[in-house]
Amino acid sequence: MDLSTDTEVGGWEARAERYSGRVRTFITETAPGALAVVALSMGSLLLAFAGFLLASPLAAVPFGVFVLSTGYGWVRHQALVARAVTFAMTTVTLVTLGLIIVFIFVESVAAFRYESVTVFGVSVPGLGMFVQTRWDAVSDPVRYSLLPMVHGTAMVTAIATLVAAPLGVAAALFISEIAPPVVREVVKPGIEILAGIPSIVYGFIGFTIINPWAGEEFALNGGSTYLFVGIVVGLMALPTVVSVAEDALTSVPDSMKDGSLALGATEWQSMTSITLPAAFSGVSAAVLLGVGRAIGETMAATVMLAGVQKIPEPITNVFYGYETLTSLIAANYGNASGVQESALFAAGVVLFVTVLCLSVASQYIEARMRRRLGGERT
Amino acid sequence: MPSDAEHQSERVSRRKYLLTSAAAVGGVGLAGCSSSDTGNTNSGGGNGDADSSDGSGSGSSGPSTVTAEGSSTVYPISNKGSSYWNSNSPASDGEYWGSNDESSVVGWDQIETDMNIADYFASLYGFEATGERSNPPFATRVALSHSGTGCKAVRDGLVDIGNSSGPITAELDISEDERDENYVDHVVGRDGQPVFVSQAIYDAGVEQLTGEQIRGIYQGDISNWSEVGGPDQEIYVVGRAEGSGTDTSFRLNMLGDADAPMDVDTRFGQNQQVQQVLQDNDNAIGYMALAFSGSGIQAIAIDFEGTVFRPDPDAENTIFDSEYPLNRDLHMYTRINEETPDGTDMREAAFLNMFLTEFGQKTFVEDVNYITLPTSDVEAEREKLPEQV
Repeated sequence: MDLSTDTEVGGWEARAERYSGRVRTFITETAPGALAVVALSMGSLLLAFAGFLLASPLAAVPFGVFVLSTGYGWVRHQALVARAVTFAMTTVTLVTLGLIIVFIFVESVAAFRYESVTVFGVSVPGLGMFVQTRWDAVSDPVRYSLLPMVHGTAMVTAIATLVAAPLGVAAALFISEIAPPVVREVVKPGIEILAGIPSIVYGFIGFTIINPWAGEEFALNGGSTYLFVGIVVGLMALPTVVSVAEDALTSVPDSMKDGSLALGATEWQSMTSITLPAAFSGVSAAVLLGVGRAIGETMAATVMLAGVQKIPEPITNVFYGYETLTSLIAANYGNASGVQESALFAAGVVLFVTVLCLSVASQYIEARMRRRLGGERT
Repeated sequence: MPSDAEHQSERVSRRKYLLTSAAAVGGVGLAGCSSSDTGNTNSGGGNGDADSSDGSGSGSSGPSTVTAEGSSTVYPISNKGSSYWNSNSPASDGEYWGSNDESSVVGWDQIETDMNIADYFASLYGFEATGERSNPPFATRVALSHSGTGCKAVRDGLVDIGNSSGPITAELDISEDERDENYVDHVVGRDGQPVFVSQAIYDAGVEQLTGEQIRGIYQGDISNWSEVGGPDQEIYVVGRAEGSGTDTSFRLNMLGDADAPMDVDTRFGQNQQVQQVLQDNDNAIGYMALAFSGSGIQAIAIDFEGTVFRPDPDAENTIFDSEYPLNRDLHMYTRINEETPDGTDMREAAFLNMFLTEFGQKTFVEDVNYITLPTSDVEAEREKLPEQV
């Protein structure tokens, strides 16, 4: 992309001029038949999308046209059609994301309105969810504070990270640097199978074995604890961390390690002072992916937690387990209606924003580490 | 829905049958049974809409289809009964009706007949048996909507039976006098939530609580079993998903107000989870459908303002009674009008009577997780039906 040169050379008019020029060249250089097919196929796809948005049964017609014209074009003008189709598929992904975001925000509006709080004469919608701690959808006063759930999510995520990060990074280091090839060949697929165990299985084990056990051993009322939910979720996030961190460590060029060894450093010294720092961006991305998994984990949290919306006292007490944002949604969506349902969407919005921040943070860390440690620039 | 398709095909086959032997069946079927005759004409008007889709099947030649509509809570009972009825299984079936070498249905010793299921119950009210599987003397059909819709439908004569989980007085906003004048209330089963405690608590002597104590436990005023005569142990209070029907009715019936505050330790969406937690912990209290009782948990007796409701079907006041505050009757209403001053014509009576047998209570009520009626109530309900012939 030569966007940077564009901005240097002229304003938007010049850019538009150049762009339309490029479009014209493209049109004159392409066979009119191929152009017609691509235009038909993309146009009908757009129409089908419009029909889908309007929930029209006629949307099937343009979609059929799209399939037929693309099929024809694939046979006759494959290269051009492939370009158009791959572009369209990328757009579909983004549009899906966009529609989901719009939907959860629109659905949560009622709850944000309900929880408006006036600050200095200005009504701030949604502030009521974060300045008091009462969630009660039934009895007076009906309030929808998300703070208990934000607290629960933070507790579970923190504990899960404390479990998954050290274990995961250590395991990744062992697999990539220390283990003999035979062990690596066996362990790596094993860890990936661990990632394939459905979360309800963990949750079920937690509900039937860990909760009763914890209730008895720690003399707890019931046995739902953030501690054990966090540990279970941490174990669930473990394979993600190991797998991604291992890839990052393996991708550190051998030449760097060899250089360190040649200078007389021990293997362990090379690992801690060369391999780990060089792979830091990848390893931190692995941990953040694990954290993301922990925040979004629903099933295990829902079945193991108590499902009441409270904040324990003191708030660092991990031997209570009340509710997380995800378990709130999972446990209540069936019975919720009206503002309560909207408040569940608000919980979804909070989750979405959190995960977005996490993703931006991981991108930032990665970019920063790349700047500091060098490596090939793009 | 499969049951719809089933009904459809049964109607078709019935029509065919009627076409071939219309005069004979119709004539014999109604011979010497004047009240079924009136029943027939009565529902002719009432069934106008429903029957137009049947074509000529229910003309003057045979009793018309019994139609029911209403509550999704009553639907499982009503629909299962209807399916059994329409199948008209022979007595040799063993699984659905009658008995054979391998098995026999519950309550068979009180029935002992060679006839098919619908033939048997219909014959008690003077209808002629067909003797054919899938071809009952008259068909039944149950539609699914809401309690209020079912009550309106029976009021306006659109259906024969209105299924409702709430009393019709509340659903249609009518007085009890109006109800008694216009409708007959057939209670076929109960929906309820007995209160259970962990076995250890029961064994330690908490076999009975007062309504006041339960209120205290669920509102956070009582937090130790020793306060209600149990061991010195914290109470693990199990509630149901906030805003669910069960939660709302518990608040309404036990705490006195549909939005009464509650203070519980945990909430679950499903009966199974409540059962599991009550078994896993030795200090828990919860409420759930009776069908989920099992080892490790015990239903307790409750003392409501001096009346003790016991979890024993033979006690004077039982947790299966309609007076027990956590129960509600499941109703099937029929309409009183000029043709049927009794409110229930012979077709309706034949169908409803099926639910008021030991076989019907077990198969259609208990097996779909509802509470069966105590013996005295079953007898009272049968009194409301016309005389058998």
